[in-house]
This record gives sequence, structure tokens and C-alpha cells, in this order.
Amino acid sequence: MSLWLDKYRPSSLNKLDYHKEQASQLKNLVQHGDFPHLLVYGPSGAGKKTRIMCLLRELYGAGVEKLRIEHQTITAPSKKKIEISTIASNYHLEVNPSDAGNNDRVVIQELLKTVAQSQQIQTSTQRDFKVVILTEVDRLTKDAQHALRRTMEKYMANCRLILCCNSTSKVIPPIRSRCLAVRVPLPSVEEICTVLIGVCKKEGLSLPAELAKRIAEKSGRNLRKALLMCEACRVQQLPFSADQDIPETDWEVYLRETANAIVSQQSPQRLLEVRGRLYELLTHCIPPEIIMKGLLSELLNNCDGHLKGEVAQMAAYYEHRLQLGSKAVYHLEAFIAKFMAVYKRFMEDGLEAMMF
Amino acid sequence: MDIRKFFGVQTKKSTSEPATNGKSKENEKKKKTRTNGNAVTKVKSPNNDEDSSMKKKQPSKKKKRNIIDSDSEEEVQLPPKKHKKSSIPSPKDSPSSKQSSHSSKKHQVQYVSETDEEDTFETLKKTQIPQKNGLGANSLSGTTKMQASKPKETKPIAHKMQSPAKFSPTSVLDYFGNSSVQRSDKKLVASSKRKATVGSTDDSTHEDEAIARQLQMEEDEELERQLHEDEDFARTLAMLDESPKHKKVKRNLDDEKTSVSSSTGKSPDKPDKKNEKLSAQKLNLEHSARELNKTTTDSQSTIKEKSPKKPSPVKASAKLAQMKRKEEASIQTASMDGAESTSFKSSSASLKEEKTSCKTTEKISPKKSQSKSPEESASKRQNYQAYRNYLNREGPRALGSKEIPQGADNCLEGLTFVLTGVLESLERDEAKSLVERYGGKVTGNISKKTNYLVQGRDSGASKTEKAESLGTRILDEDGLLNLIRTLPGKKSKYEIVAEAESKKCKQKTPEKNEKTTPVKSSGKKKRTIPLKKESEKAICSSPKVKKSLSFKQEKSDINSDTPTVKDGESLLWVDKYKPTSLKSIIGQQGEQSCAQKLIRWLRNWHQKNSGEKKPTAKFGKFGGKDDGSSFKAALLSGPPGIGKTTTAVLVCEELGYSYVELNASCTRSKNSLKEVIAESLNNTSIKSFSMGKSQTVSSMHVLIMDEVDGMAGNEDRGGIQELIGLIKQTKIPIICMCNDRNHQKMRSLVNYCFDLRFQRPRVEQIKGAMMSIAFKEGLKIPPPALNEIILAANQDIRQVLHNLSMWSARDKVFTYDQAKADASKARKDIKIGPFDVCRKVFITGEETAHMTLVDKSDLFFHDYSLVPLFVQENYVHVKPVAAGGNLKKHLTLLSKAADSICDGDLVDKQIRKNQMWSLLPTQAIYASVLPGELMRGYMSQFPSFPSWLGKFSSTGKHSRIIEELSTHMFLRTHSSKQAVNLEYLSYIRDAIVKPLVHKGTDGVAEAVQVMDEYYLIKEDVDSIMEISNWGAQPDLYSKLDSKVKAAFTRTYNKEVHLTPYSLQAVSKGKRGRAATVDLDEEEFGTNNTQPEDNETEDTVEMDAMIKQKKVAKTSKEEKATVPKGKGKGKKTK
Repeated sequence: MSLWLDKYRPSSLNKLDYHKEQASQLKNLVQHGDFPHLLVYGPSGAGKKTRIMCLLRELYGAGVEKLRIEHQTITAPSKKKIEISTIASNYHLEVNPSDAGNNDRVVIQELLKTVAQSQQIQTSTQRDFKVVILTEVDRLTKDAQHALRRTMEKYMANCRLILCCNSTSKVIPPIRSRCLAVRVPLPSVEEICTVLIGVCKKEGLSLPAELAKRIAEKSGRNLRKALLMCEACRVQQLPFSADQDIPETDWEVYLRETANAIVSQQSPQRLLEVRGRLYELLTHCIPPEIIMKGLLSELLNNCDGHLKGEVAQMAAYYEHRLQLGSKAVYHLEAFIAKFMAVYKRFMEDGLEAMMF
Repeated sequence: MDIRKFFGVQTKKSTSEPATNGKSKENEKKKKTRTNGNAVTKVKSPNNDEDSSMKKKQPSKKKKRNIIDSDSEEEVQLPPKKHKKSSIPSPKDSPSSKQSSHSSKKHQVQYVSETDEEDTFETLKKTQIPQKNGLGANSLSGTTKMQASKPKETKPIAHKMQSPAKFSPTSVLDYFGNSSVQRSDKKLVASSKRKATVGSTDDSTHEDEAIARQLQMEEDEELERQLHEDEDFARTLAMLDESPKHKKVKRNLDDEKTSVSSSTGKSPDKPDKKNEKLSAQKLNLEHSARELNKTTTDSQSTIKEKSPKKPSPVKASAKLAQMKRKEEASIQTASMDGAESTSFKSSSASLKEEKTSCKTTEKISPKKSQSKSPEESASKRQNYQAYRNYLNREGPRALGSKEIPQGADNCLEGLTFVLTGVLESLERDEAKSLVERYGGKVTGNISKKTNYLVQGRDSGASKTEKAESLGTRILDEDGLLNLIRTLPGKKSKYEIVAEAESKKCKQKTPEKNEKTTPVKSSGKKKRTIPLKKESEKAICSSPKVKKSLSFKQEKSDINSDTPTVKDGESLLWVDKYKPTSLKSIIGQQGEQSCAQKLIRWLRNWHQKNSGEKKPTAKFGKFGGKDDGSSFKAALLSGPPGIGKTTTAVLVCEELGYSYVELNASCTRSKNSLKEVIAESLNNTSIKSFSMGKSQTVSSMHVLIMDEVDGMAGNEDRGGIQELIGLIKQTKIPIICMCNDRNHQKMRSLVNYCFDLRFQRPRVEQIKGAMMSIAFKEGLKIPPPALNEIILAANQDIRQVLHNLSMWSARDKVFTYDQAKADASKARKDIKIGPFDVCRKVFITGEETAHMTLVDKSDLFFHDYSLVPLFVQENYVHVKPVAAGGNLKKHLTLLSKAADSICDGDLVDKQIRKNQMWSLLPTQAIYASVLPGELMRGYMSQFPSFPSWLGKFSSTGKHSRIIEELSTHMFLRTHSSKQAVNLEYLSYIRDAIVKPLVHKGTDGVAEAVQVMDEYYLIKEDVDSIMEISNWGAQPDLYSKLDSKVKAAFTRTYNKEVHLTPYSLQAVSKGKRGRAATVDLDEEEFGTNNTQPEDNETEDTVEMDAMIKQKKVAKTSKEEKATVPKGKGKGKKTK
């Protein structure tokens, strides 16, 4: 009894629900027998990984779905042993080098080379190249990305790379130029609705269109999220109603409460409380960018007029610095402190203006 | 010989025979050399008497005991004398050879006379001693002067040598210290010096005090009163001045004793049988000697002979001795050969120095009032304004508006002030320093002793009330200024004391001079101090050289040439005034002080560890006792400059131990330790040898391992381990010293050592000692200035001395202001913890008001990795003054501070990432100074430790858990860590827990199914619960009924769960399947374990396959699962 999301995940290019034109292009690509390195990018929940798996299946057949998880140990030149887990079938290898942190360069160099240097034995039945999927390429260090450059060219004969990332902005241009970039945009609300309704139908349920739309909007067009929400709705209340509550994840609730705390009172004590909540969020591995984004969207709801612009600019400023710095909580806190100061001044000025 | 032998095996008594031989030889020689056998016997007898009497008296009076100790220590000096007397062809013969016959006679005579003196001394309690000395000096008529001078010289040489000996690192020579006979000149010198100094100091401390007082009474009662008003300083000063005289006396005694038997006199404590025997013999001799003495009380000839020797025993410090020397020197110079011209100069220089110092001191006293109070330009203006809240009270309104009068020096001396409220034109700091400048004292609270309450604006009511109740006079600021303006200046008590001292010296010296030789009187007084210096300062390796020097000095005295070469300056004050007895160590006087503990420990050492045959198993038996008797080694630890090494050395000397010192300048590797220590500890002292009481290897040795925390690096590799090995089986006490006992390197050593921690002495303790030194050096320092200096050095005595020495080169007179300025320049960087740094960064007030930008950024550098975190953690807790209670301003300041902290973070990232450490000052400004400036105010609580560190580590932990979860679920979810965390987790948790919550036991199957679907194991469920828990609220799972939980666990364990991943990573926590260490292992292991199971294995495999198919229907099949299935299936069967 797995979640709907996984239960109804399409397994071939033909079964994809949206971006069908792109799917057919990919299919053509594969059917020509060869394809260049791919750089698949797009926001989370758009279906990048699903698309890649479909592509591989198209390429190698069902054998590619026999996956195994392996733990590999790589010894860095500094004698440090790096453990990394890989997912592999007979035909491909998937690895997330950024799991190794600062040693991702070693992973790229060692792991990729060993895979790329070994020839396929049965070239008759299979393609004469293997595929290596690198996920979260945008989180690779610069060193690792540079290490990737030469490898991509040198072992082209034996190996194709499929790079997967959210944004190409952090991928260095040399790599971008070596790859065929495939953008997987988020599905539209309508597409999500159709998917949701289709899944419910397969489950033997009827999902009201309005609810589907609400879920789609609430999920931020993140299909994964939408499906999970939908299933949560089912658990919550079986005959769907159009206006039923859509349960949220805990961290979203927590983040909203934090934003409300900021707006409701501006004082040093409150700043301290908020700091505690920020720490709570951060220790739950919620990325600071998402915290910042969530805070901003909640805070903006309580601002009016030109204050909105000011706050949004502040948020952008601090998020930028957050990327430059190393301790996220400093910048989040600075943002909140700034917001409190600005908001307090705004409110008091507004009050005075009202009084006179 | 190997160390092991020494430590492990008992020493052989091989040397006993030679010793006896030595005795006999000595006796023969004595007889030969000394024409008068009677004289010899006389000499011995008095000594014996003294010893015996001393022993008897020990229990009764401490002072006497001290004397005894000193005697024993002084015996060290004996060796040279003996040589002289007996003309033994020892290596040291250099001094003795020439003068042997003469010296021997003198010694004998002297001893007699000295014994008389001692007796009188003890009985009369020292009052007459100076007179006797004078007599002795008188007796120094021309005939014997030459001879006398020579012995004297020898002693000073020994003193001089002391300092170098101390410095010499590990020398085995030092080890020989106490033994009478020494192999090489150097050794002799080293040992003798230390002991001699000890003896002198002892004398000075105890008996001298009493004597000094009496003398003072006689001389100048008024002066004395004043002196005693401030007892600490007065005493120290008095002691210092007069101690030399007493020392002479004592030394004479010592000399006598030593002449009789060097080793016997050392310490009554020593359990040496031989010594006892000797003492018995001595007793017999003593009786006879006494009788002789009575009859021929002081034959002039004997007296004359004595007199020359008296000065010699006296250490260089003794004024009287110096006086005598001068006289002698004058006579001698004529007779002396011109070859020693070089030494001449030095001596003359020293003399000059003495004179100058005396002059300066004399001059100083009249001058007293010269210190100027800085004038502040001002127009007088008076402000009377409204009252303000105490918290918000302003600073002085009319700062600097009043002219600060220039009062007479020390006009406020003896007055105690309490400041309250805000003065009009003075900051409180200024007011305090003003009062202190004029000798007044500022205290915090009013007591009966308080003379004035200086009241300002917003003064505390309680203080005022108390002042009224106590009848304290209340002044306002103008009153204070008037007071300064009008009060007549006084001589400070310190100066008075100093003057008194100098007067005494003068008085005493003239008397003596008159008695001895009228010619010398004028210049001698001043010389006392310099002579000491000379003797101590001169660093000569061989006794011969020293002797020659001393001769020269005397000559120079006569000539009184201008000093060209200043030998005295070559010795640092630190060494010059090194404590020479336990009593004079600053801050170690208490019964529970480290020094006392160390003494007790050392004294009991041989009792406790007497069973040398006992194995190390005995070690630790007495663990937990306060006296540390179970430990074979002691570890002295404490900050530098507070006298650890000195204490150890003096304790050894006090108890008559000889010691080998190994410090960081010696290689202390395993091998070298073995060699050096084994070698040195096996040596037998030639002295005891010659005395016929030599043992094989005496047990009175101590190994001092100085600076053990410096044992590191390649040279000393294995040093600590070897040291521990030594400690375990040592037969002698070992004293280790280090600065930081918590250091990593010390960890292993600490367990084997009696822990003695030295604390910094209190300021007052240091001040007393420093004042006396300052006086000796002719410095004039107002006590409050000294306070500043001591505080600036962080109570590091050594540092204080160095500073004083340096500043005194510029000017002998210190003013308060100047000293304060100097002290602030020399302020020792004190390492303060991050909590204090954080407080200082934010707090407002006097403490931080005068900090410069550099000071503030220096705060950051106390710990540049932690301080930013502390600042960030605590800046919210500060109530900034600038906000003035306005919330809006406060928030703005907070925001600015936070921005600055962010900037600091950016800089930090650049530093760490690109190794741009040159940016640290920039970070200091951003991360510490700016937030501090913005938020400066009051902290509502103690700075809290940065929570960032803890949060960071828990973030890392959660991140790892999520990574593991996402790997486990990957085959189902195909999504990244972040997606799993943000989106999947809460839903999966619900999918697992909700059935259990709603359906109870019935939902178990459903939950387990979900887990299987996502390849989650039981541990994963726990970690999911942990991660998806927000706030402090308990998660759903833990709220479950325990029955349901148990059912859940049981159901889960009943089945075999196939996972696509190897469980090795999480195998630790496995409950039922703990044996499944590794997939592969198990795969192979099954084959090994049970061949019978081949069939079953197959079936199992089949089962596994079947199962897998079932599971894999919907999803992909994993190869890795197959082996897993094997193992598990087997187990379930």
C-alpha cells in the first residue's frame, strides 16, 4: 500500500501526463540510438526524475528498473574514506555526489572514471554506453564541476551523463555547453487537476474539481505535493467535499506561526523567540531559502502599500547575503530584526497619522 | 649504572670504608695544620653545643628551629672552609692552598668567639649581637686582616655562584649540593650558594625581625612607632636592613658548626646514624670547648682572628660585614698584588652603587612632596541642577571645570575616603586617583575607619546614613579639594620607614667603625646594599676567580674609584632578590599553603615509601588523603612567575635534600633521562666520604622535573612515559612542575602525582615584598602606584620585578601618575574567557568607557572563533543605552547590530573559504566592535553560550538521518533528500502512525505494510518520528498505547522484511537480527556455519525468491535483496 504518488508514477515516456511534446522529442532522441549528455533542470516536483527513468526505460528496456542500492567506499588522496550510496541497475548508475560534501570532487573523479572506463561487455544486445545520473548538480562545488568537464568529453564513448538539477544558475557554463539542456517546467494547474482526478478515479474515488484546483494551487504546482495532499485529504475525509481542509505539512504550519509571531509583536523578546523558532526550522533541515520565502509570503500578507515593496526588497537583500554567508540564522534573524524595526516604525507613524 | 637499578634496587654501602678513611685523614690534617690542638677542640665543642642546644630547643620555639635549619643549610658552605682548614688536596684546593694554614687558625678562633656570641644571642635574644660584631670588627687588626679577608672573600664568591648555579639546568652538580665534599669547583659553588642563601634568609626572617625591632627601639623609638604602624612594610624593610647583621652572627655560628662537622650540623631531622654519632662526639667536645671559652672568654688574639672570619660567613648582604670588609680591604689593598686590577673595578663600582643608593634614599625622604598633581585648566563654575534617577544619572556636569589643587605630598596619608554619588567636576575614577595620589585610601563602604565621605549628586542614601551614624565627616567635592589644598604634607610612612632604616644603618655602622677602625666610618653605611649586590651578582665559575674578585673588591673599596664596570647590574633583580628561605616566598606562608604541603609530603616521603622493597602495588593505597602521602611524586602547577621552582628548591634545601633539576633546556627523552638520572643518583658525596659517615647512596635526593609540560617534540619523545615509569619505582621523591595541569600532555602524569596548585599571591602580599626591594634598590614608589604595577602584571611577581627594574633605570623616584602610565603600558595581556569578552563588548560603564577602538577589537581576538558567536547570541539580551527606553529606537539598533553581524559572517566565510586570514581585523569590527557599540548598554543576564553550536550539530545529525531515510525509500520515491524531508516525511509518518492511532492493534498490519512498501525498517520509523517532531510536543507514536506499540513491533519482527539496501550501516541497532552484520558476510557465513543446511538454504532461497516476487510484482526487483532473504529466512527458521 504505497502512496498514490508512487503507485501511479508513469514508467514510460508514452504514459507521461503532461509535456507530451517534450516526451516525444526525448523518445525520438533515444530511438536514434544515441544521445548527448543531458542536463535536466526544473523546479522540484515537476517530474524530472520520472522523466529520466522513463527515458532510461525507453533506452534499455525493463531491465533498467531492477535497481539496487550500493554503498561504495572511495578513498580520497588524503587517505580519507568517503562513503557514498549509489543506485544502480545493470545499465546505469545514479549518484548524488553532493552527499560527500566537500569531497564531491573525489567522488566525481574516482567513481565516474571507474564506471566510464569500463566497457560494456555485451555490446550486441545493449547499447555500447552506460548512463550515469548525477543528481543535485547545482550543489556541486566548483572543484567538482571542473573535474566533471574533462571527464564528460574524454569518456563520451562509454558513458553518457544525465545531470539533474533545479537551476542551471549554479552550473558552470562549460558544463552547460557540453550538455543538451532539457527543461522540465512545472505542470499547469489544469494539468495537475487532471492528474489528480485521474488518480482518484483509478482509486475509485471522485474528486471534486474545485477541491482539485484548490489542492493544485496550494501545492504551488508541485505535482508531488499535490498528490500527497490529495491523499491526505482522502485520509482526513473520505467523501471529498469541495471546501474541505487541506492538511499541510508540519513545517509549513510552524513557519506560518513564526511569521504571525513576528507580525503580532515587535520587541527584542519576540526576536529571541523567533530566533528559537528559526533554529527549530533549521535543525529540521528546512533550507533557509525556503524559510525566507515562506516568511516573506506570510509577512507580505500583513503589509500594505509601499511597505510591501520595501519588505520584498529587504528579503531579497538578505537572501542574497544568506547565500554569500555561512551561518543562515544570522541573516534570517537580521531580516526579521530589520522587518520588526521597519514595521514598528510604519505602524507607529501610521497611528500618529491616524490620530492627527 | 642504569636508572632502574637505582630506583628498583637498593644501593650498596660501598663507600663506608673510604669515608672512615677520609675522617681519619681529616683529623690528621687538622692536627697537622692546627698547631694548637686545643683550639681545634674548642672550635668543635661550641659548634656541637649549639647543635645540641638547637636540637633541644627545636620543639619549644620555632625561631630556634629555623636557626637550626639555617645552620644545616649553611653547612653547605663549609666545604670550602674545611678545605682551607684541613688543606685537603681536594679539587677545590685553589682557595685553600694558599691560605690554608692561616685560615685554619682563624677559623678556629672565630668559632670560639662565635659560639660565645651565639650563646649570648640565644640567651639575650640578640640585642647584644651587633656590639659583639663590633668587637669582632675591632679585633680585626692589621696582622690578621689579610687572612681574614681571604676567607670572607670565599663566602661572597659562593654567594655569587648561587645565581648561576640555579640557572644551570640539570646539573648533577646541584644534586651534590648538601654533601660536604664536592668533586668539581662548579658543583661546590652551586650547592653552597643556595644553601648559604637559605640560611641567611631564614635568619633574616625570623630572628632578625625580633632583633631588628629591639634595635629600632634603642635607636629611634619614634621612628619605630611609625614603622610599626604599617607593620608589613616596616617589618620587611627592617628585616632587610638589619638582617645582614644577624646573618653575620648566625653565619659565624654556622661556620663554627661547619668547621666541626659539616654534615652533622645540617639537619637534626636527618636520621643518619653517622650524624648522630658525630653529634655525640661533638657534645663531648662541646663541653670542653665551653669551659675553655669561659676561661679565656675572648682572648684578643682569638678575637682578632675571629673578626676577619665573621665577615666572611656573612653573606654579601650584611652591612656590618661590608663595613669590616672595607676596613680590611683598605689594609689589604696595600698588601695585595696588583694582578687583580680588573676585579678591582667591579668592586669599586659596587661600592659606588651602594653609596648612591643610600644617598638616594636619604634624599628621597625629604623630597617626598615633589609629586605633582596635574593641573587641569578650568574656570570655576558651579552647577546645581535637578535630581535624577540613579540609573540614568549623568556623569559629572562640569567635568574639569574646577582647578584641581596641587596639594602637599602625602597630605591625605592615613585618611580613608568613601566616594558616593556623582561629583561635579570629577569622574569617580579621577577622584579616586586624586585621593590615591596624595596617599589617601578609597574604599567602597563606610566603616569606622573611614575619615571622610565625599558626597556628590545622587548619592546613596544608605551611605550617607551610615556616615552620619558613624560620625564620619561628610565632604562635598569642594571640601575634598580644599582638604588637598590645605592639609600639610607628610612624609609617607614608607619613606619614614626607609629613613629610619637608613638612620639605623648609619648609627650602627659608626659604632662599629669606631670600635674597629675610626678611619672607615664615613662611606661604609651606604655600601651595605651594594656589597650584597656585588657578591650576588658576580658570576664566577670557579671559586678561585671569586676569591680574586673579592680581594679586588676590597681594594676598590679602599680606593673608592668611580665605578667603571658594574658587575652588580648584570644580575637581574629577579635573581638578586630570589627568596632564599621558605619564609620569604611570597604567598606561601600559610599552614595549608602549597609550600607547607610540599614540605610535609617530602618529610613523610621516606616513611611512607620506606619499604623500598615494596612493589608499586602499594601505590595509591592511601589515595584520597590530603597529604598526598600515597604519591611518590608531586606536581606543582600554576601560572608563571609565582615561585613554583623556587618553592621546590627551597623545600628541598629546607629538609636537607639535595636535588637534581631537569628543566626544559635539557633533553629529557627516555634515554637521556635514564642516563642523567641514573648517573647522578648513584653518586656519593665526597664530603660524607671524607667525614667517614658516607653512605652508599644517600636517600636524601630529590629529582626536580621542571617545566614538564615542555616535554614534547622529538627530543623528549617518550619523556613523560619514562617519567611515569620513574615515578612508579622511584626510591627518591620526584617533584614535577608545570603551568597547566589540565593540558593534554599532562593527563597521564597527573594521575601519579600529588597535586599542588599554586595560586597567584594577593596584591598585598606582593606589595610588601616589592616595597622592601624597592627600598633596597633605592626606589621611591608610592604604594598605590605599586598596586597599579602589580595589577598590570597580573600578579606575576617576576614580571613586576622586571618592570620595576626597567623603569628604575630611568628614574629612581616613581610618581603615582608615572607609575600608573607605565603600568598601563606594560599591562600584561590577560586572557579572558569568551563570557567575559562578551560582557565587555556590550556593557557600558567605567570598565569600557576608556577603551579605544583597538582595545575593543582586541576583545575579539581573545577567541576569534567563539566571540562572534557569543556576540550574536547575546546582543539581543542587551538593553542599549542609546535607545533610552524607546522601543522603536531599540529595534532599529537591533536591526543595525544584526546587519553588522551579518557582515561579519560574510567576512568570516571569505576567511574560511579562501584562507584570507588578513581579514580578521575586518571581521573583528563587524562581528564584535560595531554590534558592541550599537548595543552598548546593560546586560540583563549572564552571557549565554552560543546555541548555534548545538543547533548546528543537531542539524547535521538530522541531515544524516534524512539522508539515510531517503536512501532507504529511494526506490519508491525517486526523490532527493530535500524533497523527502519537505514533502514525503509527514505523509509517510501519518500513513504509518494513523492506522495505529485509529485502529489500534488492527492497524498494525496496515502500518507494517506501508513500511514494507517503502523499505523502511523499524529504526527508520523511530527516526521519522524524531525528525517530524516539532517543538516540545511529544509525537503521535510515543502517545500510542504500549500494547499497540508492542503489537506493532511484534508483527514487524515476525516477518522477514526484504530491503534493497544492505543493512550494514544500521546493523548496530538491530534488535532481533543483530547477527546480520553484513549482507555479504552473511552470504558467505551461511556456507561456513552449517553444511547441513544446504538443503534448507536452497529452500530458503526459494522462499526468498517467492516472497520477493510477491513484493516485486508492483515494483522493480532488486538483486541485493536475494542474499538478504537468505540470511533472514534462515534465522526465522
